Amino acid sequence: MRRYHEIVGDGGSRILEQVAEQRSRIIDGLAGVRHLVAVASGKGGVGKSTLTLHLAGALRARGLRIAILDADFNGPSQARMAGLQGALFVPGSRKVSLPRTSNGIAVFSMGSVIPESEALEFESAAHGESHTWRATREFALLGEILESFEWGALDLLMFDLPPGAERTVQYADFLGPRTSFLLVTIPSEVARGVVARSVAALSKGPNRLLGYVENMSGYYCRDCNAIKPLFVSSEIPRLGIPCLGTVPFDPELARHCDGGMPLAELGETPVHRALDHVAQQLLDNLI
Amino acid sequence: MKFLCVPCDIPMKLQTVGPPERGSLSIVYSCPECGYEMAMLTNAYETQVVQSLGVRIGPEVEAGAASTTGGRCPFPAMIPGNEQRPSSQAGEPIPVRWTAAAEARLANIPEFVRPMARTGIERFAREKGVLEVDEKILDAARDFFGM
Repeated sequence: MRRYHEIVGDGGSRILEQVAEQRSRIIDGLAGVRHLVAVASGKGGVGKSTLTLHLAGALRARGLRIAILDADFNGPSQARMAGLQGALFVPGSRKVSLPRTSNGIAVFSMGSVIPESEALEFESAAHGESHTWRATREFALLGEILESFEWGALDLLMFDLPPGAERTVQYADFLGPRTSFLLVTIPSEVARGVVARSVAALSKGPNRLLGYVENMSGYYCRDCNAIKPLFVSSEIPRLGIPCLGTVPFDPELARHCDGGMPLAELGETPVHRALDHVAQQLLDNLI
Repeated sequence: MKFLCVPCDIPMKLQTVGPPERGSLSIVYSCPECGYEMAMLTNAYETQVVQSLGVRIGPEVEAGAASTTGGRCPFPAMIPGNEQRPSSQAGEPIPVRWTAAAEARLANIPEFVRPMARTGIERFAREKGVLEVDEKILDAARDFFGM
């Protein structure tokens, strides 16, 4: 009796071929993108999305062609922060056009089409069993987005990843070795410990680790025009990858994010300068 | 998954896929040698896992096809030619028609976000005082949003 590998094809649906064709279409769709950078952490709430958007803004100000893919489908925040809530996805003759910020950054975010009062839901007949299929469905959706939208010629496509150390590695697997990783942490032992796990896991794969950013590294007091401590100072072990910079917390930056205002409107502050420094470090590391 | 006709030692071919029913697909295979037929009846979990890959199930799946869903059963559009257009929303003020060319363009949008995109474009058309979405309206929307 013949065995599985002695039989060519599956007799009809060509499931494996369909999956391979999807991968091929993704590669084709990203052929014009020079650099793929995933902004990840493993830890939630460390400011990945804020840094993604504002690093994109700083790079855009240097004349680079930038797009952001908000891969956090369940907790999308780029649409709000980029001022693109309610923006349309408009189909062209071959691909779907991306909404752009006022400074020209193309952004895909589920937050553009799903109101914040609604959760992301996939229809299913396997009720109560979403743990068996949901991650697969989300990655399939990510693939559809990558192949369907018009990324065109870009210097940089930044992925704003969801939290979770294990998810970070899954995204590395899915996005492939072309994608470099920028990790984000904050000066707390708990956060640093989680991010260290992400570093350890990513280090086993082929993806390049560009370094990390220490976000919320003190806070910027506008009254004193000084950076003050935000976390209790302690000796926190380094992550074993380059630190591309530290960015203080700024309540005004948080207000800008909530209101969808671009970085340029923040004014010349230490936070602005810190973001600009990290953007330059990122660029230097990519070249 | 592959099926083998053991007496003939020949791989079986997919013949038909029945309409999905409560998450179950009925997929009929036959042996090209002896004509023996068998059906694979999937349970909802099996169907869901395959559907999550974004593939279609059927004897003549075209290259580049992607799965779509809609209607009561989440799986009908796993089968080519079985896509359903979403019904209009209750309370929607004025129905908006789509030309065939505009519909064809809409199919470029991933199925998951397609209903939301359709709703947004129809809203844009109404705001422009237009009750038919054609390629001109789509181009106008692209220009309006600076794309």
